[in-house]
Amino acid sequence: MSGRFRLLFAMLAVALIAGCGSLGVKPWQRDVLAREEMQLDSEPLDAAIDDHLYFSKEASSGGRSFAGGGCGCN
Amino acid sequence: MQLMAASCALLGAGAARSQETHMAPPDSGLLEDWSVDSALAYYHEDGRIQAIEPVVDVAKIFADGEALNFNVTFDALSGASPNGALTSRAAQTFSSPSGKLQHRYTTAPGQLPADSNYHDDRIAVGGTWSVPFTRVDQVSVGGKVSAEDDFLSATVNASIAHDFNEKNTTLSFGIDDEFDSIHPIGGAPVAASDYESAEKQTGSKTKDGVGVLLGVTQVMTRTWLSEFNISIDRFHGYLNDPYKFTSIINSAGGTTGYEYESRPDQRTRKSAYSENRVAWSSQISTALSLRYMSDDWGVRSDTAQLHLRWTLSNRDRYIEPTIRWYRQTAADFYTPFILSTEKPAGGYESADSRLGAFHALTYGVKYAQKLPGLGGRPESEINIRAEYYQQTFDERAPVPPGLQGLDLYPGLKAVLVQIGWRF
Amino acid sequence: MRMRCILTGIFLSVSVHAASTLDLASFHGRVVYLDFWASWCGPCKQSFPWMETMKSTYQAQGLEIVAVNVDADRADADKFLKRFHPTFGVRFDPKGELAELYKVQAMPSSVLIDRHGAARFMHAGFRPVDGPIYEAQLRELLAEK
Repeated sequence: MSGRFRLLFAMLAVALIAGCGSLGVKPWQRDVLAREEMQLDSEPLDAAIDDHLYFSKEASSGGRSFAGGGCGCN
Repeated sequence: MQLMAASCALLGAGAARSQETHMAPPDSGLLEDWSVDSALAYYHEDGRIQAIEPVVDVAKIFADGEALNFNVTFDALSGASPNGALTSRAAQTFSSPSGKLQHRYTTAPGQLPADSNYHDDRIAVGGTWSVPFTRVDQVSVGGKVSAEDDFLSATVNASIAHDFNEKNTTLSFGIDDEFDSIHPIGGAPVAASDYESAEKQTGSKTKDGVGVLLGVTQVMTRTWLSEFNISIDRFHGYLNDPYKFTSIINSAGGTTGYEYESRPDQRTRKSAYSENRVAWSSQISTALSLRYMSDDWGVRSDTAQLHLRWTLSNRDRYIEPTIRWYRQTAADFYTPFILSTEKPAGGYESADSRLGAFHALTYGVKYAQKLPGLGGRPESEINIRAEYYQQTFDERAPVPPGLQGLDLYPGLKAVLVQIGWRF
Repeated sequence: MRMRCILTGIFLSVSVHAASTLDLASFHGRVVYLDFWASWCGPCKQSFPWMETMKSTYQAQGLEIVAVNVDADRADADKFLKRFHPTFGVRFDPKGELAELYKVQAMPSSVLIDRHGAARFMHAGFRPVDGPIYEAQLRELLAEK
């Protein structure tokens, strides 16, 4: 695996370990995270149209996902 | 054929919005569990392709938190599509397989050769179903089918997301499988064969791709959300563009012939993506995404995009400018032309500008306005956005002898305008 | 999903800063449905009408609904209340002290307290399908002396 990807894997591992720590907020403190502009999938059609456009003009595509964040309700 | 693959599958995984992550975008009423998101986009490249694309996405959230999402996209493309040949000092004539009849077109001296009769319609239908099977786990499965005159694609995807750490951390894993069948108009040319002899093969060509994605989303603070994903995909099969060929140039810069392109039958891509959303105040928030991609064709790319949303009075409208910067290196076998004295014996070659070295900049702005609900119905939103996209080729791209002064790598300038309605 | 939690404080008296006092002693003899909600919580838009129905159905039998708001900004809570105009009691816990005390795991959360002040059931989240399940538990507690 190339050097850059080894670094990125390490970042992912760090992110995971950090996740097990004290980062974050209490369930009743998610007011800002519940806002529309803070959702990872706030504009799904724009993302799909952009992705389609860039896919047809460039050599790269995808990479995103949308799970997590938000109000954390239920 | 406009696209090699509609690999939006991983994009779609988890896109069905369950109560878990995100309620229907406008403030939904209690029993209004249906939501519709629609858009009409118009895309226009300076002197080349133009496209009209309507999209409709319908979502329903059930009483137990399950969510279903169904979407239809229609795409109509027309205009001039570059065929891979190099600009020449002499006029060039080509025969295009467009439509069912042979069509000849001529490119003037100094112009980039492009098939002006290009025309393609595409329809795509997709859906996703999400189930929150525990309070902290969600599973999604989805599929998409897309059809064009000469191309058929089917994708299935599945993903799982697990929340922990009081839902401050979410781990997600997604997998998708795509199967494409290409039946080029006029038949698929034998790779690297001579353009004039037009050796075509009957039957259709296929390719298959599998992708996996691993991601972590972390609530950093009350106002900052962070996401990081790594993904890998591998395609195998017929990866050529059957309509593209490469110019063979002599020592004086004259075009002596053309050769159909030839790409490897396998491509593996790895990417790392990060996104950070920060709410700076009740009105200003930003989303910054970064992506690094590298594949075994030698292409490496960097993408950075920033959205800045300014939510105006009463939170009923916003304006959102965006800027995107993109850069990619050329594929190992990218060659804008072949020197007749150095014709490669076998080996791969493609003059497709999508595989060249260039950087691109997008500037855009979006405006959205919420409309109050009429007669008890929840509010809806109308929006409009416009973007300007410019691709600039690497100035170190080679210039064959005799062709100095010609604009061999004009790049691309395009405009996107889109209106949308969600309710 | 439900988490069964038996807290042994019998007469739980908690002071909510700068607002009202949540004194369960005043509810002794009645079954209390203690609900934690916020203006930004989507499922709360479904739990409020359900709680209203529970109140009108079971108030005579001794049900008391107390909805504790955790919005940091009172104006947001008022907007939500204006839209749903509940007839049950609302308390304000902007600093989340009461939510912390009850170890709220998700929004919304509810605690079902019996006639003796003991917390008998605790639920994280509200989906329409949960309504009948919570209602059955309320009936169980209301049936006790």
